[in-house]
Amino acid sequence: MTENILLKDNVAGIEGYFAGGGYKPLKKALGLKPADIIEEVKKSNLRGRGGAGFPAGLKWSFIPKDAQGERYLVCNADEGEPGTFKDRELMRRNPHAVIEGMAIAAYAIGSSHGYIYIRGEFAAEAEVLEAAIAAARSKGFIGKNILGSGFNFELFVHRGAGAYICGEETALLESLEGFKGQPRLKPPFPAIKGLFGRPTVMNNVETLAAVPAIIEKGGDWYAAIGSGKSAGTKLFCVSGAVKKPGVYELPLGVTFRDLLEKSCGGMKEGKILKAVIPGGSSTPVLTAEEAWGVKLDYESLAAAGSMLGSGGVIVIPEGECMVKLLQVLARFYHHESCGQCTPCREGCGWIEKLLNRLEEGRGSSADIDNIYAAGEAMMGRTICPLADAMAMPVMSFIKKFRPEFEAHARGETCAGRAAGK
Amino acid sequence: MPKLTIDGLSVEVPKGTSVLEAAQLLGIHIPRYCYHPKLTVAGNCRMCLVEIEKANKLLTACSTEALEGMVVRTTTEQVRKARRDVLEFLLINHPVDCPICDQAGECGLQDYYMDYSLRKSRFAQEDKIRRPKRRIVGQHLVLDNERCILCTRCVRFCAEVTKTHELDVMERSDGSFIDLKEGKTLDNGYSRNIADICPVGAFTSRDFRFKQRVWFLKRTPTVCLGCATGCLVEAQHNENVIYRLLPRPNAETNTWLCDYGCMTYKAVLAGDRLSKGVIKNGLIDLEPALREAASRIDEAKGAVAVLGSPWLSVEDNAALARLAKDAFKTENYCFDFEAVQGIKDGILINKDPAPNTRGARMVKEAHGGLSLAELSDRVATGKVKVVVTEARAAGLMKEVLKAAGTRLLVFATNKGEIPAQAYATLPYASYFETPGTFINYQGLRRVTAPAVQAPDAIKPLWEMVNKLAAYSGASLRLHSAEDAIKGIDIK
Amino acid sequence: MAFKLTEEFKARAAQVCARYPVKGAALIPLLLELQEKEGFVAEEAMDAMAQLLELPYSRVKAVVTFYTMFNREPVGKYHLQVCRNISCHMAGAPGLLERLKERLGIAEGETTKDGLFTISSVECLGACGAAPVMQVNEEYFESLTPEKLDLVLEDLRHGRLARR
Repeated sequence: MTENILLKDNVAGIEGYFAGGGYKPLKKALGLKPADIIEEVKKSNLRGRGGAGFPAGLKWSFIPKDAQGERYLVCNADEGEPGTFKDRELMRRNPHAVIEGMAIAAYAIGSSHGYIYIRGEFAAEAEVLEAAIAAARSKGFIGKNILGSGFNFELFVHRGAGAYICGEETALLESLEGFKGQPRLKPPFPAIKGLFGRPTVMNNVETLAAVPAIIEKGGDWYAAIGSGKSAGTKLFCVSGAVKKPGVYELPLGVTFRDLLEKSCGGMKEGKILKAVIPGGSSTPVLTAEEAWGVKLDYESLAAAGSMLGSGGVIVIPEGECMVKLLQVLARFYHHESCGQCTPCREGCGWIEKLLNRLEEGRGSSADIDNIYAAGEAMMGRTICPLADAMAMPVMSFIKKFRPEFEAHARGETCAGRAAGK
Repeated sequence: MPKLTIDGLSVEVPKGTSVLEAAQLLGIHIPRYCYHPKLTVAGNCRMCLVEIEKANKLLTACSTEALEGMVVRTTTEQVRKARRDVLEFLLINHPVDCPICDQAGECGLQDYYMDYSLRKSRFAQEDKIRRPKRRIVGQHLVLDNERCILCTRCVRFCAEVTKTHELDVMERSDGSFIDLKEGKTLDNGYSRNIADICPVGAFTSRDFRFKQRVWFLKRTPTVCLGCATGCLVEAQHNENVIYRLLPRPNAETNTWLCDYGCMTYKAVLAGDRLSKGVIKNGLIDLEPALREAASRIDEAKGAVAVLGSPWLSVEDNAALARLAKDAFKTENYCFDFEAVQGIKDGILINKDPAPNTRGARMVKEAHGGLSLAELSDRVATGKVKVVVTEARAAGLMKEVLKAAGTRLLVFATNKGEIPAQAYATLPYASYFETPGTFINYQGLRRVTAPAVQAPDAIKPLWEMVNKLAAYSGASLRLHSAEDAIKGIDIK
Repeated sequence: MAFKLTEEFKARAAQVCARYPVKGAALIPLLLELQEKEGFVAEEAMDAMAQLLELPYSRVKAVVTFYTMFNREPVGKYHLQVCRNISCHMAGAPGLLERLKERLGIAEGETTKDGLFTISSVECLGACGAAPVMQVNEEYFESLTPEKLDLVLEDLRHGRLARR
C-alpha cells in the first residue's frame, strides 16, 4: 500500500508538519531554478485535481517568460461539486502542504502574491488556513525574503459568498475581483490575462498540496505511482450507500470494486449497487455493471464514457429513483447557473420544470425527449462548462435508465408507488 | 493582415478583427443580439455560433479573432440547429406580446425567428417566468423585464458610453433581471439610445409608445439641428406626421443621438407652432403681418439692421444678407458668430448650441458685414432702430436690444421661441419641412431633407424674406434657395 | 435613519483593501464582515459600501443579489441551512427538513416568532461523506439523524453553538 502523500496524520500544526519533514521541499526549491521546478512538475504528470485534469506543469509553463510586472497564483478552494469533500478534509488535516505547495509554485512562476479563494461556507477551514499562514509567516516561510532567498510571497485567504460557479476558473477570478461570478470569454486565457489583468496560474487545493512531495522526492517518483499516464495518488470522496463513506487517498488506477469493498467496507447493509457517479455530479453516470468493471483513472473512465472529474464517487443503491435524483441535480444546476448565456440560463430552468412534471405524474414521453433534446442543445454551446455539467447527467441518466422515466410518464411516480425508501 | 475564408469566400482583414466583423465585410450577416459595434464584446446570447475548422465545438463569431488561414462556415446544418436552439431557449420565457409591443416589425426575436426557426414551442405556457412589466424608468424609457433577453447591451451602454452605471443584472440563473436603483431614473442625456439598441421590446421609447406601427413608417435621412455637432439622423414619419428621430450611425460624427436632439422633431407639430404672424402678442394673418413689419422698417428710414442666425441654414442666412444689402441697402448686417466648438461631454453634445455657426460664416465671407460687437454698438448708440433677425439669434444681443429699446422683428417657428421684446414675428417652415445646408463643428456640410410638408403652407424663410422685401418695395427675385446662395460656393 | 459605517469598520476595510491592487476586490470579504455584524445587508449598507469602495451602486447590488450567502433581510439567531443535494437527499435530507418545519412550525424561508430560527434548504455543502448535513450559521452539523437533529435544536435553544 502506498503511503499517504496528502492525508497524513499530526501535520495540521506547524510543529507537526516540521516533524514530518515539512518546509524542507520549499528550502530545496528556493535553491533550484524556477524553470527546473516546472520541468520536475511536468515530469511528475501531476494533473489538476479539481475536475478538469489539466497537466499542472504545462499550465505553469504558460506564463509568458518575458511578462513584466506582477503574476498571481490562485488556489481554487471553492469545492462545490456535489459528491466532493476532499479539499475540506485536506485543508483541515494538512493545511501546510497547501501553503508550502503554493510557495513553491509561486517561486516557479515568478509570482509574489497569492490568494486562496475558499468557498464562503467553509468558514472554519478559512480560519484554519489563516492560522496556518500566520504560523508559516512567523517562521519566515511566507512573506518577504523567504528563508533569505530574496523571494517574496504574500498569501491571503479570500472567502466566497455562495456560488458553485465560482469553482470555474474565470468565474473565480471575477469573484475575487469583486464582481458576480460570471465566467469570462477565453481567449484570453488566465496565463496571459487573469487576475486583475495579470498572468495567473490557478490550481486546485489537492494539486498544490502534492507539489512539496514532488520536489522532495522527484517527478519520476510521483509518475511511478498510479496507473500509466494517471500519475500519483488521488483523494477519492465516497458518499452514498456505503458502509464507510469518507475521503480515501489511493493511487490512481484503483478499481471501483477495491475502493468500494476494501476502503469503504462495501455497500450498506441490504443495499445493492444500482448506479455510480464517479467524479462529482457533473460526470456521466455509470450503471452498476459498468462501475464494477472500471478503474478509477483519467483514461479508463474516459473510455467508459464518463470522467474522473473531482473524484467524488456517489454510490447509488437499488431503491433510489433515478428520476428523482436527476430532479435533485437539475434543481442544483438551475440554482447555480450564473445566468449569463442563453442555453444554460433557460435550459436549466426548462429541464428542471420538465422533470418536476415527470416526478409529479404530469409528464409525458415527449417530455423525456424534450429534456434530452434540451441537454443536447446546451452541450458545447456556452461560455463555460456548467451547461455541459448539467447536460451530462441529464443525458446519461435518460440514456441508461430510460424505463424509469417512461414509467413516470405513464403516471407511475415514486409517490404513487408503495413507499420503497 | 490575416486572410481567412468564410463560406468559401476569401477576405483579408486588419489584425484583431472578429470573425463576425470579417463576415460583415463579405456581406455575410451572422445573426447576433449581444454584439454591438460600439460596445465591448459580451458573447452571451450565443446566437452567432459558427463552425470553425479544427475547433472541436462551435465558436461565437463575435468573440473569436479572425486568424490567418481560418476556415469558417456559417450555413451548415449544425450552425442552423444551434440558431434554432438558441431561439427556442429565448422564447421559453419570452411573453408573446407582439400584438401590444412597439418593437414588432423591428424585433430581433421576430426577425431571427422568421429567418432561422419557425419551430413550434415545446414548452407549456403556464410555466413561463413572470417579471415586472411596463416600468417607467425615466423620461424616455419604459422597461419590460419579461421581454428582456439579457443581452446586456443596455448595461454596457450605461457603463461604457455614458459611464453612468445605472443598470446591472440582478440575481442569477433565470431569475436574472435588469434593474436600477429604486427611486433613481434612467435619464443620463442619452437614455433614448437604449431603446434603439435593445433588440427586443424590453426597453422602449416612452415618446413613441403605441403611436405607430413601424412598418408604416417612411424614412427620411436628415440632420439634427440641436447643436453644432449636427448628428446624422433619420426622421421616421407617416402621413405627414413625424413619429421619431433615430440616429444614422456614421464614422465621422455620431453613432448615437442625444435625448435632447431626438426630441427636436416635436416642435413641428407642437401646440404653439406658428402658421400666422404675431404682432406683440396677438396672432395676425400673414399678409397684414408682412405689411406691418414692412411699415416699421420704412419708418426707421435706413436705421435698420439684419442679424443672421447660426440656427438658420446657409440659404436662409444668404437670403437675409440679400435683404440687408439689396432691399434695405444698409451696411448694418452681421453673419459673424464666434463660438467655441467641440464636444463638451465626451460623447456628442457640443459646446456650441447652434447648428450653423460655420455656415453663417460662409455668408459673412461672401457678403462681408459687421462683427457682432460692431452691430451691437450701433444698436446701443441708437444708430440702428429696427433689427430683423431669427428668434434665437436675438438672444445673442439680448441685453443691448433691451437697453436700447430697439424694435425687434423676428422669424420664428414656434411661439415659445419668440423673445419677450419682439414687436413682430413672422413664421417660416422648419428644416423638417424644407431643405437647408448646415456646416457642423467638423466643417462637414450636411443638408436637411424635408420629411413632411409644412402645415398651412408656411413658406421657407428665404421665401418669407423675398415677400418682406417685396412689401418693403424691393424685388430680390428669390424664387428658390439656389437664388439666395448665388455667389456663395456652398460645396 | 441613515446607515453609517463605523470608524472601526472603515479601519478594518482599509486593512482588507490593502491585500489587493484594486479596492473593488475587497467588496465580497467586506460584505461578509458587514453581515456578520448587522445580520443582513440592507439597502443603505449597499449605498455605504458603494461609496466606501468607489463602486457604482448597481454593481454592489448585483453582487449582493448574486451570491446566496448574503441575506437581504434579517434572519433568525440561528440560520438552519439543510443541504438538499444528491448524497444528503439519499441519506434522508427531505425527512429532516420536514421534521424541522414541523418542530418549529414554520415553512422554508421563514423565521420563528421568537426570532430564534430560520429554515433554508441549500445546495451541496462539501461534506457529503457525512450526509445528511446541516449548516447553522458558520458551523456544520454532520451525520444527522432525526434524534440528533432534536438534540441540536435543544442545544441551540440553550445558546450552545461552537462557532458564531
